[in-house]
This record gives sequence, structure tokens and C-alpha cells, in this order.
Amino acid sequence: MKRTAFLILLTVTAISKVSAQGHGPLYGLQTPTLAKGGFDFNAAAMSLATEDDQSFMLRYIWSYGVTEDLQINITTPTMVNRLSEAPRTRGNNNMPANGDIEASVWYRFFSNAFGVGKRFESTAILSVSTPTEETRSGINVSNSIHGAISTGYASRTWYAWVGGGYQYYFEEGNEQLGDLPYASLVIGYRPNIFMGDYPKPDWRVFVESLAEFPGTSTSEGQLIPIDQRGKKVMIGPSFLGLYGAWGISFGALFPLYQDITQGPKEEYRLSMNISYWL
Amino acid sequence: MKRLGIIALLTIFSLSGVMAQLIKVDQEVFGMDCAPCAYGLERGLKKMDGLEKVQVSLNDGKAYLKLASDNKLTLQKIQEEVRNNGFSAKNAEVTIVGQLVKNENAWQVNVNGETFIVSSDTPSEIVKSLNTGKIKLKVFVKDKEDNHLNGTWDIRIVEVLKS
Repeated sequence: MKRTAFLILLTVTAISKVSAQGHGPLYGLQTPTLAKGGFDFNAAAMSLATEDDQSFMLRYIWSYGVTEDLQINITTPTMVNRLSEAPRTRGNNNMPANGDIEASVWYRFFSNAFGVGKRFESTAILSVSTPTEETRSGINVSNSIHGAISTGYASRTWYAWVGGGYQYYFEEGNEQLGDLPYASLVIGYRPNIFMGDYPKPDWRVFVESLAEFPGTSTSEGQLIPIDQRGKKVMIGPSFLGLYGAWGISFGALFPLYQDITQGPKEEYRLSMNISYWL
Repeated sequence: MKRLGIIALLTIFSLSGVMAQLIKVDQEVFGMDCAPCAYGLERGLKKMDGLEKVQVSLNDGKAYLKLASDNKLTLQKIQEEVRNNGFSAKNAEVTIVGQLVKNENAWQVNVNGETFIVSSDTPSEIVKSLNTGKIKLKVFVKDKEDNHLNGTWDIRIVEVLKS
């Protein structure tokens, strides 16, 4: 199964040339897709800190715009330090937080550009992932599929996106990671001081929130009675700077609420992403 | 006979001298909100043959195009490039040179296979001053649905620059 998924990933990679981010929020779901024939490369550094330990990961995404509404992406990780008790979570908006290789398709199924700099649009995401580790938090980790949908508004001044997603892990050796439903809400603002026209640098600030509701994992065919991972609501700021073909975004999320009954609580997530539109 | 030949030659020369083409296009673009959007559109437009200068303004929501002499570019190609970048091409202010003809009571200018039909909201004093033949016009091109571009445009003449 892993080999099949990996072959699919390689095929997608061969067909594509890659994906985009860097244009909207860092953590929450967004809607923009690349131009037809457009390429984008992202490199991200991500860290997740719990009471006991801290993970570090580098991640790369290549994206390609098949049409102005259809984009394909592939992302690969370089794990610097894994958590022994890793939470099930998404990472940045189109990147897994854990050591998965993931291929995804973004389809912008609705778009209404109704004014100068203004548009309302909706995008669906479908992805397949394969892990780079054998176990995660002591449970065999398998391939997974992920689907999400987001809708939002963009203008020269205000931005808002709301979305939700679901990740499902397949069974591996009589064990199965619980699923991951999640939702995100992002509000963005560009102050007047950054309203300089292209090609001047373009900055904006976001408040991002992420709610995660991980399901119960299965070990040796049995549901684990007390799951180590609880529900969480995270919130934090992020910043996005754009200049010509380059983009940089950085931000942090902090727990507003978490009901973890066993295992270390999460303290913060940090991320920085550099984008280049080829 | 010689005189007739010279007249014919002069006529041919004068007609061939009418290089029907777009001179300048200020294309309104909706939905473009960020620097990479402008960068992508600018880059896409620059790839097209026949452009001398391209400038994209996020704050105006416009792409300002100055076309090269003897270009073969069409407004449809320009608007398709806008659409390929994920935006919506709206109205445009265009300077054109072409042959003005009257077809079934409507004035029209044919440029590189496209037809610019003068609409009834063109000021009457401008319409009255029109004569068939080579003309240079500044026109307002009305928005068409991005999915229904066919090279035919309704225009309101803003100014007759040369006739």
C-alpha cells in the first residue's frame, strides 16, 4: 500500500512541476490558486513545542497551475527532530505537520471578481499522504487521505477565509491513527502604510485560528480508551510580505483551549515560509 | 494609361500604409489583490509578442500596455491572458488605428481580425464627424463576459485622434 501511494506521488511529481502558498495565511485554509502554467516553490521551517519536547521540520512545496482554477502540489519534509508523542495536526495550510509526503490538488470551484482588487472565491482540496516514519505516538502510521474546503474574501485591505477539513488514516498492522477533523478562520488586514502600488513591497497581517478535533486511535484492533490527543483551539498572528516574485510569511499559534487528558500539553507552534514564483 | 497606373500604385501604397493595430490599451482588471498577482500578470503579458511596455497597478486595478509598431496583438488575447491569471478583464480604454467602414448603418473599425463596433452612446457630434477611411481613435471598450470573447467589441468613441 505504501509503495502504491509512493508511486502515485512520484507520478504526480513527474506530471506536475508544483504548488502555491505564500499568498494568504500561514496556518489556516485559503483559496487562491496559481495562474495557468504558473510555478511556485515554498520552503518552510516549522516547529511545534509541547511541555516536554519540541519538533523541528523543514518542508518544501512545489506547485503548478494546470489552469487558473486547478493547482497541483507536492510537499516533502526534512525532519530535524520528531516528537515522541506527536499531536495529530495539519501544519501550514497546505502542509502536514508531521513527516508525511503529500500530494494535493486544489480546485477553485467558485470565483467572483467583483471589483478592483476584490474577489470572493471557494476552493476544494484533496490530498494523499504517505508517512516517513513507522510509528507516530506509538501507533503504526499509514497512508492517509485529506479533504478540505475553504471560502473567502480578498481585497486590497481586508481578507477573510473560513474552512474545514478532514484527514483519514488507513489501518496499518492492526493499528490505526484516529481521524482529524479541523476548521480554520483567518482575518487579514493591510494597513494604509503598506498600500504602496506594485512593484513596491506588499505587507499584510493576519489573525489565524485553528480548531482540531482528533479522533481516537486504535491499537491491536481496540480503541484506545483515553486518547493522548485532545481537542484544541489555537490562535495567533502571522505576517506576510510580498515583493515581486518573492514572499515571506511567519507566525505563531498559541493554545486558547486544549482538553488533553494524557500526555504533554502543547505550548506553541512557530512557522516561517519563503515563497518564490518561478 | 501611365497616369492610371500611378494612381493605382498610390492607392495601393496609401491602403498598405494603414497598419490596422492597437496602439495603447488600459485594461481594467478585477480581483487582483497582491504583488504576486501583479507580478504574474505582468510576466504573462510580457510574454506576448508585440508589446513595448507593460505596467500593472494594483491600486488602479489596471494593466497599462503600450504596443509595438506593426504588432498583431488583439484585445481578445490580452483579456485571455488576464483570465489565465485568475482575474477578470473588464472595461478597457484603447487607442486603435484602422479602417473605419459603415456596415448596415453601424460604424465599425476592423483591427487584426477584431471588429470594434461604434455603439449608440458615442456622442452625436463625434458620430457626425466620422468618414470612411483610415482613422485613429481613442475608444472605451465595454466589458464582455470572460467566457464569451469572440473578437467583436462594442465601443464608445472618446476622441477622434486622426482621420
